[in-house]
Amino acid sequence: MTTFDKNMAAVAFAEAGDHQTAKEMLGGKNSNANKVPEAAPKPYLKTLVLGAISLSAYVLLFKNEAWVMETFTKGGIYTLFPVLAAFFFSFVHGPFGSDLLRCLGLEAKKK
Amino acid sequence: MKKLLMLILAALFLMPLAATTAAAAGGAGPDKDMLKGLITQVDEANRTFTFVRDSDSKVFTFTFGAKMEAKDLPLGKKVMINLDKKAGEGVAKSVDRMFLDMSLKTVIALMVIGLIGGLLSGFIGSGGAFVLTPAMMSLGVPGAVAVASNMCHKFPKALVGAYKRYKYGQADIKLGLVMAATAIVGVQIGIQIQKAILHAWGNAGSNLYVSVVFVAVLVLVGGYVFRDAQKLAKKKDATGHEISPLAAAMQKIQLPPMMHFKTANVRISAWVTVPVGLLTGMLAATIAVGGFIGVPGMIYVVGASAVVASATELVIAFVMGFWGSVQWGLAGLIDIRLTLLILSTSLIGVQLGALGTTYVKDYVIKIVMGSVMLIVAVSRGAKIPGYLADLGWQAELTPQTAALLEAVSFWALVAALATAGIIISAAMFKGMMSHRAEEQRTLAAARE
Repeated sequence: MTTFDKNMAAVAFAEAGDHQTAKEMLGGKNSNANKVPEAAPKPYLKTLVLGAISLSAYVLLFKNEAWVMETFTKGGIYTLFPVLAAFFFSFVHGPFGSDLLRCLGLEAKKK
Repeated sequence: MKKLLMLILAALFLMPLAATTAAAAGGAGPDKDMLKGLITQVDEANRTFTFVRDSDSKVFTFTFGAKMEAKDLPLGKKVMINLDKKAGEGVAKSVDRMFLDMSLKTVIALMVIGLIGGLLSGFIGSGGAFVLTPAMMSLGVPGAVAVASNMCHKFPKALVGAYKRYKYGQADIKLGLVMAATAIVGVQIGIQIQKAILHAWGNAGSNLYVSVVFVAVLVLVGGYVFRDAQKLAKKKDATGHEISPLAAAMQKIQLPPMMHFKTANVRISAWVTVPVGLLTGMLAATIAVGGFIGVPGMIYVVGASAVVASATELVIAFVMGFWGSVQWGLAGLIDIRLTLLILSTSLIGVQLGALGTTYVKDYVIKIVMGSVMLIVAVSRGAKIPGYLADLGWQAELTPQTAALLEAVSFWALVAALATAGIIISAAMFKGMMSHRAEEQRTLAAARE
């Protein structure tokens, strides 16, 4: 394979989401063998963004406490409010928690 | 991610089914004699008050209950009224403010409890509910609102925990869904038993039943788990997990349909999971902690490891919690502020607990589970004499004895939480340190 062919093939793999194969094609299979494994970069920005969204949501909720308590406890179709709010917070605050732990250096043991 | 979506879809599918069963069974949620609304006027002289019901703005005039005073009736605030059918028509038994005012102390207390409850859930698969509900009640939240808000905090936490542990390759989604399906049926059976007892012996009988079941289950199961963990800890090669003789026998039963649970690495007849699921649901309906049966059941009956069992319990907790939240939400009893304040820390705690499991040996999870169960048993056991006296089956307790038992019950719960928090943190810290040291060594070797 020419260098061009190799690069294009690597691009194809990279675009398909197979970054590992793409890297291997570009760098040769053993080029990383002697490299010291690097720690993954800490997701500071993501943590900040998620944290800001989560905090804003909390502030919004407590600023409008009266309206929230009135609407969320009406029952019937209004049940969707507390349930969706719980989902929303788990999808924003959950990943925030996860990234926060990573930023603090608390990660699961790699097998 | 695909499996996570499948899990959510399955829960959504199971929910109407379960809601229909619950409706047929009379509903899992709030008491039918309970009214929600506002007190608009109090007539102290005639001992009556005017009440406007929330759902249809209908106006009622109720009479004060025997021990009730005008100052117990908050004007213009949302209240829950329980009627005393025995005392006559329109007599209020109790009036509770539904939603308390938030103070800084309440906020901090909720966040601390949330963190520890989350840590425990992530580590042993369950354990938040038995402490969160009583803790909220001691802050002044009425029982029904405490149960509802706790339920609504449970399912997102379980979802995040289950997803995390699924990523670690620990949660068996299929086993979780199979168990959840039967657990929902178990909840209905549990509710029927509760209702029959409530009908026969009233509230005190119901309290006694709950406490006796609590203590019996916790002592039996907790004791067994604890002994098993001690045995495992003594063995030098206790890294893996051994299948219990009972699970080994169960796995030999070739009764179709046979199911293969990949993550749990178990091939077993679907029928074996049925009693475990049913009992998990029944216990959840009785003491709100189905996991105390579900996790040991999956370990000792199905044959999953403690790691997989505690992770899979989170899948069950999600399905059951989601369904329960919808039930309580329909009655308008969820205080979303309580739910979200607890979630703010428990979502972090649950992930910390989940990653903690990757650093510890299987028996450590069992030690934590066993110890917590035994200490909580003491806490609930201390309540039994009081309930016996309420039923008139035992002489009235002296105020000193009652206060002592109350203190024992409260401090045992605090001790259970503290013990769990300390064991989990210490095991995690130790595991992380040795893992880091190992990584440093590998790094140094690679540089050379």
